Amino acid sequence: MANTWLMMERSPDGGKAPHVARFESIGRRLPTTKLGSEELMASTRHHTRVDLERLTGIHERRIAAADEDSLGLATGAALDCLRRSRHGAEDLEMLVSCSITKYRGGLESWLEPPMSVAIAQQIGATKATTFDISNACAGMLTGVFVVSNRIRRGEIDCGMVVSGEYITQLSRNAAKHVRNIMSAELASLTLGDAGAAYIIERAPEGVAGISVTGFTTVSGYSRLCRAYPARHDAGARMFTKSRAIQRAAIADTPFLLQEVLDAAGLTISDIDWVIPHQTSARAIKKGMKDVCETLGGAPTNPAVITVDYYGNTASTSHGVALVKELEEGHIRAGDRVALLALASGIEIGVVLFTVDEELVSRYGNDA
Amino acid sequence: MATTLDFPAVLRGRQPVHRSSRKMADQASRAAIEHAGLQLEDIDLLINAGIYHERNLGEPALAAMIQQDVGINPEDPHADGHGSFSFDVANGACGVLTALQVADGFLQSGAIEHALVVASDAHPGRGMAPGFPFAASSAAVVCSWDESPTGLAGFRWEVAPEDGSPVSSRIGLDHGRNVLHVERDPDFDGRAAVWAAKVATSLLADLELGPADIDLVVANPLTPAFLEGLSAHVGIGMERLLVLEGAGQVHTAALLVGLAAAAEQGRLQEAHRVLLVSAGAGIVVGAALLTN
Repeated sequence: MANTWLMMERSPDGGKAPHVARFESIGRRLPTTKLGSEELMASTRHHTRVDLERLTGIHERRIAAADEDSLGLATGAALDCLRRSRHGAEDLEMLVSCSITKYRGGLESWLEPPMSVAIAQQIGATKATTFDISNACAGMLTGVFVVSNRIRRGEIDCGMVVSGEYITQLSRNAAKHVRNIMSAELASLTLGDAGAAYIIERAPEGVAGISVTGFTTVSGYSRLCRAYPARHDAGARMFTKSRAIQRAAIADTPFLLQEVLDAAGLTISDIDWVIPHQTSARAIKKGMKDVCETLGGAPTNPAVITVDYYGNTASTSHGVALVKELEEGHIRAGDRVALLALASGIEIGVVLFTVDEELVSRYGNDA
Repeated sequence: MATTLDFPAVLRGRQPVHRSSRKMADQASRAAIEHAGLQLEDIDLLINAGIYHERNLGEPALAAMIQQDVGINPEDPHADGHGSFSFDVANGACGVLTALQVADGFLQSGAIEHALVVASDAHPGRGMAPGFPFAASSAAVVCSWDESPTGLAGFRWEVAPEDGSPVSSRIGLDHGRNVLHVERDPDFDGRAAVWAAKVATSLLADLELGPADIDLVVANPLTPAFLEGLSAHVGIGMERLLVLEGAGQVHTAALLVGLAAAAEQGRLQEAHRVLLVSAGAGIVVGAALLTN
């Protein structure tokens, strides 16, 4: 047993888990309607004096259309992921839905049957074992951890991790209650709607794939961000102590990232891209500055920021960012990418992987 | 070498309707860890499979709160220590079986030495779930990696291609208030039993076993209609099924409640091969073999 703080898996890992998992395809579903921060803040009931764009770096976010919900966004992302993949839906042996929100048919939240059953039925994944994971904004990367574990041990060859987050309804609810910058619902104004999906498969011989995955729950902070269905409004409300979460994340992330780098035999300077959870541009920049100072180096590129045009899309944020960077040709074959999860719980996790030529080619780019 | 299950700790019985599912989960978790003879910090992974929490909490994962309440490595990461990872799975009444399989995977890979699987459901609160059908109940079990050849020996799952689900649970606006409605078709138990028997038969075939090789079946839901249907379709007499009167309204904790009852009756210790079977909304059905 490794004496690390993180619960960790490293590949390749000999007899117990001889295989390597990789991201075979990544898909997303973004609603087309955009909502600017200025327009959102103009809708608040109270005169808040909050300059949301200056505070968070969020210029706009996408908002779901009337006929889109968590299930629609998840299914859209799953189909986009399959469209780019060499796999068909019938190849999927597992399908894990990881969204926080489970809205179907508008703002009706379905606790049973699981969302994963509905997604599998809609995309035709008839052979997939299905279940849901709920782990706040770390849900999808937790799903990657769970599916990779099964692939690494040779139990399955291929599985999908998927999420659809219809969360701008929290912004609508928060707009009725936020009074000033100290409001517990201010973070709800940073949210954006999106779906994302990953196909994880067993990597061919010699492909680096996902090399280290590590997670922990620093549960002493479990009450810092909580969400519940709204009492009298449709949808939900979220109450966040943003500064306390940010302080804890900044204090704990460098130590944990160093554990992952040590496990991989790398330094932070060997990493090409760090994709953090997308909360606010300012928080990401401050967090990365602290990471670089503590670890004594910097990744090749600045931390990826997509929150400026998509908002915080909760569990889908890494998938949304990965597709953007792959489509724009920024991430190239051979690049090492660290996905950093930070979520209510507080959950902190890292998925470290190397991008291969096949993945890059799915976005119309050469290696 | 395999994943072994300690005896589950259970909380149920004559409890008030408005019990906190989290507090019940805390209590069951502490009891399970104590029974396993472990220290709190020995738990590497905590998976909650319960669904119905106070105020219908959406985030964080209830598992994180349980981890903090129980005191399982809740502090900031530091050198010379190790942390714990917590999250929730949701798979209707099959959640515990799913959580056992996830824990088994990480035990097999060597990522962890001990996992705690907990399931807890209770009424979410006054006026929030009219007609809530499930009994307040909670159970937890410690899973450990053991060098002995006995333990969890295989899983099998199916999703039955039903049009619509005979069980559904939804939170939505009703007369200006967000409330939870659980609907359960009376035919569910009978239909689920057919599919559960199919998946159990497939698992036995995978393991080159037949119904005669099974000493004990622990299955959920613990309703008479489901258990009788399962017995008939899988070809294992009711005398080899765990029957627990008055436990039909236990939801996600039911599989562990059944295992605990079997242990109390001494039947679990005597059984060489135990078949675990779960059926939940979807219809999702799963089976696993536990050897002693």
